[in-house]
Amino acid sequence: MGRRASSWAEEAAAVFAKEWRCELRTRYALNTLALFAFTTLVIVSVALGPLGIALSQGTSVLPVLLWLILLFAVAAGLPRAFVHEEETQTATALRLAARPSALFCGKLAYGLILVLALEAIVAPLFVAVMSLGVARPGAFVAALAAGGLGLAAGSTLVAAIIAQARGQGTLFAVLSFPVLLPLLLLSIELTRNAVAGAPAGMALLQVLLYDAMVIVVGLMLFPSVWNP
Amino acid sequence: MEPVKALLAWLLWIWLALTIVGAFFYAPLAAGFIGQSSRILFFHVPMAWTAFLAFYVAGFYSLRYLFGRRSARDDRAAAAAIELGLVFGILATVTGAIWARIMWGAYWNWDPRQTSIVLALIFYGAYLALRDAVEDGEKRARLAAAYAVLGLAVTPFFFFIVPRITYSLHPEPVINAQGKIAMEPRMLQVLLSGTVGFTALFFWVHNLQTRIRRLREERPEPREIEA
Repeated sequence: MGRRASSWAEEAAAVFAKEWRCELRTRYALNTLALFAFTTLVIVSVALGPLGIALSQGTSVLPVLLWLILLFAVAAGLPRAFVHEEETQTATALRLAARPSALFCGKLAYGLILVLALEAIVAPLFVAVMSLGVARPGAFVAALAAGGLGLAAGSTLVAAIIAQARGQGTLFAVLSFPVLLPLLLLSIELTRNAVAGAPAGMALLQVLLYDAMVIVVGLMLFPSVWNP
Repeated sequence: MEPVKALLAWLLWIWLALTIVGAFFYAPLAAGFIGQSSRILFFHVPMAWTAFLAFYVAGFYSLRYLFGRRSARDDRAAAAAIELGLVFGILATVTGAIWARIMWGAYWNWDPRQTSIVLALIFYGAYLALRDAVEDGEKRARLAAAYAVLGLAVTPFFFFIVPRITYSLHPEPVINAQGKIAMEPRMLQVLLSGTVGFTALFFWVHNLQTRIRRLREERPEPREIEA
């Protein structure tokens, strides 16, 4: 066994850089995510409008809608990360170029930046358009960040699984939603608390626990999912 | 071995029949429940327990598949366990809903226990969808096992964390927060006998299902009938 030419961190960074280079060439995921989120936001906004929903109900209903928009946008754009590798038959080259854990982390970092960018665009728009008063903006941002990390981690692992199966588009929704369900319920709870000005309580800890759990299990499972 | 197995199967049928009779004629009614509704407990609790057990048995076989010798038998055992877990889970949900209609006035009210079991059923239903979407046997086994192990990490959130968001009307578990068993002795006997019976039923059918899966997989491809 010769010495490896590249370190783990170099491989992860290279995967991350490659993902973004490809992404910026086509801007496929960015455009899909942004357009999807924007369209859904317009639908929600036109249907409900700033006056369509009573203020008292807004604090409980609007966080649900915000997270649903984010979830569906992620489902529309993220699975491509791995499906693309199988379609263009670059998966084998990637298997040779990077060890699985580095690859997983590189892809996860790519997904995370994508989700955070999406949230940075959608959340302020949503708050403005729906006239959602946020009592604790810091907690609101923390909820988006912690929930976004979970969305990226869960989707990355499920994307790797479905890339090797048939009917990838629908299968991603079928497989990822049950995995993301507890995260979504907890994130909604967390966002509601931030909007209403209630303390975050255990929910933030539980979301972070979920994130850590899915990342660790992802690292553990990814090699078996990735290598035939 | 065959006569012993046949005898055990007959013993199991007799055991379950006695449990059913015991549930209706031997165990007394629990205080504070409408009519005879408390008797559903003797079926509902063992069903829920068996579903829970089945999902963790599947998790065990999936772990062993991924990190062990990758034997096709472990894959078949995991898939069979999840199928049975879904059957018992649906039965537990339905019996729970019937009871909820009588006691709470509605079949469904998103009590935390109802939420937990529905989330678990959705997750393991998705597992079966994944299996259907992969043709190749080795690949199917590998991806399905990975998803089932992911379930081991995610389902505790269904059972322990998500339900804490709201309060529950569900009766105390048999072994309550104080770690004590609080139940009338005759009721407890029937409940335990139901639990033992359903557990044995699960392992028996699981064994059968695993073997049926092997026969299906190893069956030679049907040849075209020549005219």
